[in-house]
Amino acid sequence: MTRGLAAAAALTLAVVTALIALTGGGPASVLRHGFLLPVVALALAFGRLGGALGTGAALGLYAPVVLLEIERSGLTPETIEGLVTCAVVAGVGALGGALTTRARRQRARYETILTVQRALAGATPLEAALGRLRTVLIERLRAADVGLVVRDGAREVVAGADRVAAGSVAAGVLAVGTSVFVPDVGEGRRPRRVFATPLLVAGQPIGVLAVERVAELDRDERAALDALGVHIAVALENARLTSRQRRFAEELERSVASATRRLEELDRAKSAFVAVASHELRTPLTALQGFSEILAARSLAPEEVRRMAGIMRAEAARLGRIVSDLLDLSRIERGLEPTLHRVPVVVEAALVATADLFRRGVADTIVVDCAPALPPVDADPDALERILTNLVSNAVKYSPPGSEVRLCARRAGAMVEVAVLDRGAGIPGDALARIFEPYYRVPATSTVRGTGLGLAVVKALVEAHGGVIHVESARDAGTRVAFSLPAVP
Amino acid sequence: MWALVRPWRPGTRPLLADTPTRLLVAVACVVVAALVLASRTPLPTGAMRVVGVAAGHGALLATALAWAGCVPGSGVVAIVLLAAAAAAATLGPAGALAYLAVPLWVAWLARRQRLVALGLAGPVPRRALLAAVVLGAFLGGHLLVSASLTLGVHIRPVGGAGVLAALAYDAGANVLAAECLFRGALFNRAQRRWSFATALVLATAAYVARYLVDPLLPKSVEWVVGAVFYLTLLSAGNCWLFWWSGSLVPGVVSALVFFAAYRLLGTGG
Repeated sequence: MTRGLAAAAALTLAVVTALIALTGGGPASVLRHGFLLPVVALALAFGRLGGALGTGAALGLYAPVVLLEIERSGLTPETIEGLVTCAVVAGVGALGGALTTRARRQRARYETILTVQRALAGATPLEAALGRLRTVLIERLRAADVGLVVRDGAREVVAGADRVAAGSVAAGVLAVGTSVFVPDVGEGRRPRRVFATPLLVAGQPIGVLAVERVAELDRDERAALDALGVHIAVALENARLTSRQRRFAEELERSVASATRRLEELDRAKSAFVAVASHELRTPLTALQGFSEILAARSLAPEEVRRMAGIMRAEAARLGRIVSDLLDLSRIERGLEPTLHRVPVVVEAALVATADLFRRGVADTIVVDCAPALPPVDADPDALERILTNLVSNAVKYSPPGSEVRLCARRAGAMVEVAVLDRGAGIPGDALARIFEPYYRVPATSTVRGTGLGLAVVKALVEAHGGVIHVESARDAGTRVAFSLPAVP
Repeated sequence: MWALVRPWRPGTRPLLADTPTRLLVAVACVVVAALVLASRTPLPTGAMRVVGVAAGHGALLATALAWAGCVPGSGVVAIVLLAAAAAAATLGPAGALAYLAVPLWVAWLARRQRLVALGLAGPVPRRALLAAVVLGAFLGGHLLVSASLTLGVHIRPVGGAGVLAALAYDAGANVLAAECLFRGALFNRAQRRWSFATALVLATAAYVARYLVDPLLPKSVEWVVGAVFYLTLLSAGNCWLFWWSGSLVPGVVSALVFFAAYRLLGTGG
């Protein structure tokens, strides 16, 4: 296409010149206007270079005709017309070429900006987006190479090299925030121009666009590259904000889903708790009701009465513990701490009392092991009793009959650590992190009596004292629950 | 990418760095001495031409070689070769063939990669050579037509001994020295500091000025205006060829073709 047009223009120039020469029309020949056609065509097709070459060729062919006539006749109306025609041809060629080049550059800039926006659109990581952008810029800018550097938090994402070397043009632009033009990098047969412009967002450099070209990179083009840098910076910032927004939305979605799952689990656990709690409350009530009816209806031997009273007392105590747990849990869920009346409590005595409580029927399997000269703890005696009762109750419940349960106490700095160890089946690893959650019960233990409140209450009571509680468990090797309470100084 | 990985410090060397000042001063002294001597005693025929060719073209070529990084001895060799060729040319047209020793010397240097800075290294694009022939032929043809039509100058036969001697002079002295200095050295340095247009204007102005002070140029207004017109176009075209191809060879070819046409004119030297 371009070659054809150039050939047609050259042919037209030759034909017009030949016709002027053959017809002997001279400088004022009407055929001289034919020179304008190829000049305009070349200017429109090839811009400034085409206009200049077309003008040069037309004047080269037409000027001898005019100059020869000036030599012969001097400045006549005909020769003046010829000179005016030369001026018009030169003006049309130069102006047409310049305007065409300008319009093309403007269009190319808009297209480049659109290309940049397309390259940075989409949900790709910054590295991939920069790589894509570099590829399209090399093509669009007719560059030998293009480099892009973008700061993303503490790191620098680089396209066109592995990293930005200290003392390089890009490093300088990043540091100072102003453009740098290097007319020649000093390598190669032709000058290799380099222009590096900062990518500015709110006046701060967030990166660098560096362009290398083995061709001219004039002032206009450098200004256009500065403007392109601004567009790229804005597009990158938008892409980064979009990416951040997308990440945030995804995180939010995950959080909502997780919260929903937890609420659903909680709801299921509460439903299960209602069933369990009803059963747990009804069992001692049934025992109390049954034994009280027997006592009311029959005359029994004093030993039998004492036995039944003992059972009733134990069931009433169990009922009381469940009600206390429920009340404490209600306070915990409302964000209130348990009310404590703290006094110095001798740990060994508390351990022995709890062990005695559970020794009935399992006489020799609960062992108390206290370190000598253990200081008393600053605790609420009732709360400590409930903590120990809950833990020992669990240890006894989840241990094989006849296996040992050990209650230990020792000094640990300013605290006293109490541990309850059993030799039960242990707690599965995935359940270990959740056993202190209210209503949670290890799935494999659903056949054992319990409400799922005990450990949650224990944890709240320990933490209300300023202590910590943790649990260690191994499959088929037993469980160790240890808590600490502040020692009395 | 260079801008990202290579250290860079702003600042460039002076445009006229590496100019062989001592050698140029020595050449100038020889010229002055010759002029003084010629004013006092009659010199042999052609002696001043030998001095002029050796000093004029030799200074241009020696400067270009020095800017390219060659040792000063290279410039001295070029001056001696030019002086010898000019002396041989005074003996007869065949003696002008001695001018061809100068391009051979330059080619020898180029083969050893000592003239990379002048654009005399590596392959030469064929399209650039074709464009150079077209440019030289267009300007030369235009010159012939214009000169014959407007000035009534007659065209000499192509095979004449005088024309061939003039062509040898162009190849070995005139074109070679001017292209090496104004294109390979000056334009090349300038385009690596400033824009192409600035470098073109600088190199062309120097190129045209060099021919305007040439004692061989006819001093009539028509010839001076014509010289400015054609040499400006030739220089601009050669600058573009150098910029496009990165090689000095197309410019030399273009200038040789143009000057070949010029030598066909009755007053073309």
